[in-house]
Amino acid sequence: MLKYNFKYELKQLLRNRWIQLLSVLLLLLFGFATYNGLQKIEEREKVITAAKEETLRNDESMVMLLDSLDRGMEISVSPWRYPNNPMVVGNYYPRLAAMPSHNFTFIATGQSDMYSHYKKPAVSRSGFMEDYTEMTSPIQLLFGSFDLAFVIVYLLPLLIIAFSYDILSAEKESGSLRLLAAQPIRIENWVLQKLGLRFFWLSVLVILAMLVIFFIFGLNPFVSIKLLLGLIGITIVYMLFWFAVAFLVNVWVGSSARNAVSLLGFWIFFVLLIPSVLNQLGSSLYPMPSRALMINQIRTLQADATKRQDEILDNYLRDHPEYAINDSTQQRTFWHSYFASENLVRQELAPVLENYDLQLEKQQEWISYFKWISPAIITQESITKMAGTSTSDYGNFRKQVEGFSETWRNHFVPYLYNNRNFTKADVVKLPQFEYMALRPKFLSAFTILGIAVIFLALGLFIAIKNRNHLVLSNA
Amino acid sequence: MITTQNLTKKYGDHLALNKLNLTVAEGNIYCLLGANGAGKTTTINLLLGFVQPTSGSASINGIDVTTNSREAKKYLAYIPENLMLYPNLSAMENLDYFSGIAGKSLSKTQLKAFLAEAGLQNNAFEKRIATFSKGMRQKVGISIALAKDAKVLLLDEPTPGLDPSASNEFGLLLQRLKEKGVATLMATHDIFRAREVATHIGIMKDGQLKQQFVASEISLGDLENAYLKTMDYKNALP
Repeated sequence: MLKYNFKYELKQLLRNRWIQLLSVLLLLLFGFATYNGLQKIEEREKVITAAKEETLRNDESMVMLLDSLDRGMEISVSPWRYPNNPMVVGNYYPRLAAMPSHNFTFIATGQSDMYSHYKKPAVSRSGFMEDYTEMTSPIQLLFGSFDLAFVIVYLLPLLIIAFSYDILSAEKESGSLRLLAAQPIRIENWVLQKLGLRFFWLSVLVILAMLVIFFIFGLNPFVSIKLLLGLIGITIVYMLFWFAVAFLVNVWVGSSARNAVSLLGFWIFFVLLIPSVLNQLGSSLYPMPSRALMINQIRTLQADATKRQDEILDNYLRDHPEYAINDSTQQRTFWHSYFASENLVRQELAPVLENYDLQLEKQQEWISYFKWISPAIITQESITKMAGTSTSDYGNFRKQVEGFSETWRNHFVPYLYNNRNFTKADVVKLPQFEYMALRPKFLSAFTILGIAVIFLALGLFIAIKNRNHLVLSNA
Repeated sequence: MITTQNLTKKYGDHLALNKLNLTVAEGNIYCLLGANGAGKTTTINLLLGFVQPTSGSASINGIDVTTNSREAKKYLAYIPENLMLYPNLSAMENLDYFSGIAGKSLSKTQLKAFLAEAGLQNNAFEKRIATFSKGMRQKVGISIALAKDAKVLLLDEPTPGLDPSASNEFGLLLQRLKEKGVATLMATHDIFRAREVATHIGIMKDGQLKQQFVASEISLGDLENAYLKTMDYKNALP
């Protein structure tokens, strides 16, 4: 039976123009999504490149100024911006902490609309002051970006629904099902083969359309073969899930109209309802502390610390006798007091900030605990992780920036408290930031596969139980 | 050969078929006459294994259709009232597909021979079914039965919608199958066609087989009167 189904299913799909229509649609959707993704990458890289160039220019200028100062020459800069002051270097010549894109970043915008891809941590700003709230257009946030992830997670299931909702009911409504059922075959096997073949052809079209579009845009997906296979794998498994749902609906529901409505109901449930309900519940159960309150708290603590700067500095030096001993001049500037008070502010703010991170982690844990309910969530998350634009990727970047911010500050503390000047020879010793990307895992595809198998088994059970009903029920 | 013994089907309280005892031997054409709801289609559905009987048994070629429906289907062919084949496939392709899934792999020459035997014109072999009339579609249906080498043919209201010449041609096709030894059970409202093609005729009402005739022993007029009488029709023409 499979040989004949294979041969004539393809012929019918070609003659019905389904293959042609799907090919054109997939090429258009993937093309537009890839174009959008690449545009965003281009903008992102442009911004990072500009920031890099600015850093390089600043560094060149710093080296020139240091050189002039070393030679005892006069320079045309205000004394409080002299780069031989380590705090000036720490504050006005920061390093670039960038999160560069990679070959597959274009597949999902993810959180990249919400967060910046680079930071320049300075000594006068602590890690927690690095804000990550550079929002994009609220309209875009509302509807999401038209990227490959959007096409795969939201639109591909709709194509599958259109391609499979009436696989059994159309035969029933046209009358050919009775003729088929009069043959010595199992009708549930026949439906399964029909859907399996449609799944096969759609998978072939999806893979080909993706590769064609990648090549049209001059991308070489084989550079990151693991990511390419991961993307294809998660897409195919997600499609399999939707075909399994279509199988269940075809053998369970009945008429084409009811099948279509039921499948759209499943789409709303899995793609829209579950993700938004989980998000909403996560936010309600683990609400984020008010950012405005946190900033107020920081300002109050900073104001209080400013009033008590001398006392704080004395306490700080008592805790760090190495600075007091080595310091021959005992010269104290604004920066000495500022650093000491900042440390105190940071210590006092630690529980507030930890609570902020903890709530965020709990929200993410809550979603990850229930995400298996919706393959749409798993697929979206997997694709954004492959793209390196997931929440965890930006969390990772944020942590690395905070860590680097700390390293940057600490690098200048000995200069400050030992009252050492910054020299041209110290430039090469400045800490540099290097982003370490998270490695995407592909295990979630097995979860979707498991859900798909459950739907297939349920469909098969219903089909076998209602074998006769499949042929005779009123369409 | 078709045999039913006390074949009964109930849908809730409704008795759709009541203890039907029927035998259609090889080379016989049995026409079941009756109004809508008389139990003709239920009989065919039971023989096809589409529904399970409440009691009694039925067999095709000696194979019990209730317990071994798939095996029984190897020997039967079925033509529903509106034979809907795949409109985007040609007559050849439809025949190849239905024969193929039934387990018969046929060459192009064999496919053409079966279509020709069913009376389809040569120039229609490669045409898509979408352009076919009901009569032409039925010829493809008959070719499927021929290709399958079916021993039993079940026909559910095959003649409505056929013009007189197509209906006559269809009758001739059934005669040809009869000569090949096929046992045919035809559910119909068409008394004239039943009298023309059948070897045996049964009249059903309310799920029961009320009367049976040997077709050659009854005239068309007597058959019509018997039918109307069975249906309690009071206003028969003189």
